[in-house]
Amino acid sequence: MCEIIYSPKYSLYNLGEGHPFSPIRSEMVIDLLTHFDVMKTAIEPQPVNPEELFSIHDKEYVEVVELASSGKIAENIGKYGLDTQDNPIIKDMALGARYICGGTKLGAKLLIEGKAKKVLQLGGGLHHAHKNMAAGFCLYNDLALSIKEMTNHGWHVAYLDLDVHHGDGVQEIFYTDENVMTISLHETGEFLFPGTGWVHELGRGMGKSLKLNLPLQPFTEGDSYMSVIEKAVVPALSWFRPDAIVVQAGADPHYSDPLADLMLTTQDFERIYRRVLEIADKYAKGNILITFGGGYSITATTRIWTIIYHIVNGLEIPDKLPEAWREKWREYSKDPIPRFLHDLPNPYDAIPRKPEIDRQNNEVIRRLLDAVSTDWW
Amino acid sequence: MLVNEIMHQNPFTVQSTSTLCNAYKFMNEKHIRHLPVMEEETLVGIITDRDLRLATSRLATVPFEPTAMVKEIMISPVETTYPTNPVEVATQLMREKKIGCLPVMENEKLVGIVTAVDLLDALLHLTGVNRPSGRLEVRLGNKPGELARISNILSQRKINILSILTYPDKDDKARIVLRINTMEINSIASEICSENIEVIWPPHISCAK
Repeated sequence: MCEIIYSPKYSLYNLGEGHPFSPIRSEMVIDLLTHFDVMKTAIEPQPVNPEELFSIHDKEYVEVVELASSGKIAENIGKYGLDTQDNPIIKDMALGARYICGGTKLGAKLLIEGKAKKVLQLGGGLHHAHKNMAAGFCLYNDLALSIKEMTNHGWHVAYLDLDVHHGDGVQEIFYTDENVMTISLHETGEFLFPGTGWVHELGRGMGKSLKLNLPLQPFTEGDSYMSVIEKAVVPALSWFRPDAIVVQAGADPHYSDPLADLMLTTQDFERIYRRVLEIADKYAKGNILITFGGGYSITATTRIWTIIYHIVNGLEIPDKLPEAWREKWREYSKDPIPRFLHDLPNPYDAIPRKPEIDRQNNEVIRRLLDAVSTDWW
Repeated sequence: MLVNEIMHQNPFTVQSTSTLCNAYKFMNEKHIRHLPVMEEETLVGIITDRDLRLATSRLATVPFEPTAMVKEIMISPVETTYPTNPVEVATQLMREKKIGCLPVMENEKLVGIVTAVDLLDALLHLTGVNRPSGRLEVRLGNKPGELARISNILSQRKINILSILTYPDKDDKARIVLRINTMEINSIASEICSENIEVIWPPHISCAK
């Protein structure tokens, strides 16, 4: 049984025209699902109170954000990562972010109360929000809040970050926490924001060997990505045996994403998420909460998330995109909207360095397993 | 960046009359490699774990006994620095003298110590890698106004520079390495490239038209 979470209020978290992290992506997905006649009634969350965020963010930071969001901008706003191109100050952005946090937190509650085994949150995934700083389009860390809800209930939680950027905010917040395993697959930090997520970032104190990072080479393709899941993610979860998995389902590892350089196709996303569901069934009691995340090619992102929706709901994946939907959103997309839900076969030229890329990714897996395996039993 | 920002305050020390055995145990216990040697409150020398091991090695012509005194093997006089010395000047001294640490003196009192590892930490801090950011590296003409071209592009887009390093390159060019707080490093790099500035990092950028 899969529950869907969404509120139209998520669109308050709109960082301005032309900003890549646009709420239109969720709106387009919902409209596409409606055209396919598979959109379930979504459960609408309430926003969390600012005070609820103190469990993951510094009080001082939350207060600065709330004030800025209502037009009162603190003198030292730069210290908090705000008023920049990536994190501009927009009216009501804090409320929008609190609705998003409310949604992801509600997802945790549904799992804890046994009302659902699978939850898909049609938004959120603000994984770069730090304890005391906004970064990388992210204001409040909805994922961390939801994970905290689960650990407060006594659960062990695995966080799987499949966004193309390192899940630095979530990792930071749980760096010493023995109840949370974080696993992030991302394009390696020398080429991409936020520049962290190295194999040697393993956690500290009781959290040691529970924070796993798999920095991948630019132009990594689906087969190599899948082998990282099989050789690193599967052994990690089969050892940790969490009570639930929280997945940040960024669509930006897609080959067409303008912000990053991985080379996944929609077909790769399909096999990755089918496998992730199997893994949740096998190692996490079937409890899985999936949020959206990054994804800056609108045409690819909306198709990928629509495919994921079909997979978690056990629906057959349609072939063509409805004409009416393509027509409706034509003007919102820089690129032409394709005719099919999946990518066409062989959508990009062969990658010349492929053997070297695969070799380096395997090396990363080996180094990670060498580093942690003595702490696993 | 000054020495007092990176030094360890109130360092562990040893008296010149202590035995080598005691000094060795103390270093092991505190996980340190350098010990300033004192006579009462006055700095008179320094010993390192390497000095200790070489002096007592069975391979030495006449090995020192564990009961020998620290002052018999310490290095003296000792090179020092002061709290308001710029970090790069202190580093030059360490390289020049081929030494791994500098006691920090103020009014003839020992107030701190700087080691080579502290300088590595300083390098990390200077490069800004410990803040969420993207890495951009360009090659500019070595003349006035070149850096302004980059900073103008960044400021127009409200992108903050977290760190900036520059050094001379061949062909009378200057290399600039920046950490900037944006997710959109690729598009910024393309824009900079289209302004006829050579982008070195990220390495696979094509110029915007």
